[in-house]
Amino acid sequence: MNPNDIFGLAYDALVDRKVRTILTVLMVVLGASLVVVINGLSAGQSAFLQQQFSSLATNVITATSGQRSYYGGGSSQASLIINDIIVNKIKALPFVSDVVPQYTGSVTIDSYGNVQRISVTGMNPTKLTVQLPNLEFVDGSTLEPNDRSAAVVGDTIANPAGATTPFVTVGQTLKITYSYSDPAGKQEQEVRNFLVTAIMKPSGNTRIDNSLVINPDAANQLLRKSGRYDSLLVQTIDDSYVNTVQDEITSLYGKNIGTNTPQATLKVRQQATSGNAAFVEMIGIIALVVGAVGIVTTLYNSVTERIREIGTMKAIGAQNSSILALFLVEAALIGIMGATLGVTIGIISGYAMTGLSSQQGSGGPGFNISSFPPIFLPQDLIKVWFLSVLLAIGAGIFPAWKASKLSPMVALRRE
Amino acid sequence: MLNRDKSGPKRNSAKVVNESQVNDVSSNSIALAVKNLSKIYDSVAGKVVALQDINFTVKKGEFVSIVGPSGSGKSTLLNMIGALDRPTSGQVYINGIDIFSLKDSEIATMRNNLIGFIFQSFNLINRTTVLKNVKLPSVISGMSTSEANMRAMKILEALGIADKATQKPVNLSGGQQQRVAIARSLVNNPAIVLADEPTGNLDTKTGEDVFDMLKTLSHKFKRTIIMVTHNPELSESTDRSILIRDGRIEQDVIN
Repeated sequence: MNPNDIFGLAYDALVDRKVRTILTVLMVVLGASLVVVINGLSAGQSAFLQQQFSSLATNVITATSGQRSYYGGGSSQASLIINDIIVNKIKALPFVSDVVPQYTGSVTIDSYGNVQRISVTGMNPTKLTVQLPNLEFVDGSTLEPNDRSAAVVGDTIANPAGATTPFVTVGQTLKITYSYSDPAGKQEQEVRNFLVTAIMKPSGNTRIDNSLVINPDAANQLLRKSGRYDSLLVQTIDDSYVNTVQDEITSLYGKNIGTNTPQATLKVRQQATSGNAAFVEMIGIIALVVGAVGIVTTLYNSVTERIREIGTMKAIGAQNSSILALFLVEAALIGIMGATLGVTIGIISGYAMTGLSSQQGSGGPGFNISSFPPIFLPQDLIKVWFLSVLLAIGAGIFPAWKASKLSPMVALRRE
Repeated sequence: MLNRDKSGPKRNSAKVVNESQVNDVSSNSIALAVKNLSKIYDSVAGKVVALQDINFTVKKGEFVSIVGPSGSGKSTLLNMIGALDRPTSGQVYINGIDIFSLKDSEIATMRNNLIGFIFQSFNLINRTTVLKNVKLPSVISGMSTSEANMRAMKILEALGIADKATQKPVNLSGGQQQRVAIARSLVNNPAIVLADEPTGNLDTKTGEDVFDMLKTLSHKFKRTIIMVTHNPELSESTDRSILIRDGRIEQDVIN
């Protein structure tokens, strides 16, 4: 039998059992689309993380009071107060070129009645380039390290997504409100006006773009820090000394100071991302295997139902290999339809999911899934397509072999 | 179509086939030769002899019926002749070829080229058209689509069902379906046509029509037909009747 005829017979057989064929194809579609979506989102997230951290200096260690987890939360058991004494001690360590102390806090800012809740950092604004060597500012910006009422605004705060006019411009006054509870538990507010002297250009780092930088002394007073720094940026001579300096800090303060580097954070985040992706991708592959079992069931039923047809075909001269090929082509057609639809639906779903979450998450600062549109690498799509088709063909082997080995006499006798 | 000749030769006028004919397997005039054919099945109850030492030949263009009661072994014999099953011993020659000396794949090719099958329950593929059913043996043989279509249409025309070519078999009457099956059995121009109770699923009138068609094929188009039937009347209307009982040929008469 020539391949065209086998294809035609296989196609006819599938069309004859439309509902069953569609349901079996759907099983493959589900598995393939799941794997495609997960691959796409995971690649998008990975690229996003890479981009976030690529703008950060590689020779900077972030030191915080107590052990810090990778996502930035300080330990509640912090026992060491980071003050100027500690700053100077670390500054004196070998291979350390600079130490930039930082206060951080959450405040609301008011510009002509528009209010945003943001994260404020109190630090020397000229030291912003320690962490972001390529940071640039919009025209008209000036950095005033000693001006206690000067503020440097991140790009996302100045130009919120979707807004037609900027939130603030250089030279404008911002009202900053810090809310806190006094020792008696009473809610208090500290309000101060700041002059925007500089606005950052997009830095490539979401956290920096969402931050407001003010003079450290002003932050100490506004955020009621009493000289207790939240974190230190420890700059080493170059990135080859990062580990040495990290070890030195650890040997000085043990677990009372946590140290971290952008590279370590990136690594941990990417491991977490790929770990999650691997787990969910496993579910996708399980869905594909379930689809394959569905194909086995469908084709096995088909062999049983078409046993007289197989017997007749053999009686009129069909070779075992032709019968084998016929059922394998049926399995392959299910696989090809399922894989093609699955990959297409996977791509569409990937974009739809990020579109949906960007609508839901718009306006809020920080990470959300919309920050990383999916990336569908052609080689990943081809891999999923072939995996689906091969699984389908693999699933067809047993029923096809069973059909090909049927004795024509036994098959013809079966009712 | 031809009317069946009911005033044909009576059994008492029949003559027994000459033994010497059996030995001449390679003669050009012989389509089928069965030599010392036996089939023994192993069952829980012990060995069951289905066929024992069967010998006969069929000349080209002959219309032979194999008759016998249920369980006599006539269908087993037809299965052996059609190479659907292998015998315990003995040979079957079709056009001088010892078919059981061939490998399974060669037997399949031989079935495709030399044998046409007509089944009691038609065994058509109902999901596809009459034309596709009829050309299936040609398709299996690897013939080009255009030639297979042309051949199938020619036979459908000859059998008077060309207008049904695009219909599905389920939409046809039993008689029409059996004509489709006959067309399918002839499409590869086989050496012998094996018909297993071809009228068994049809009413008397339709059965007679189908039988007449087989007779025409034999007499007019010189087709060699071997038909299994339990109907003595039909058997008497064929050229020759082989009566099987208990796995042996009890009688082999020319009608």
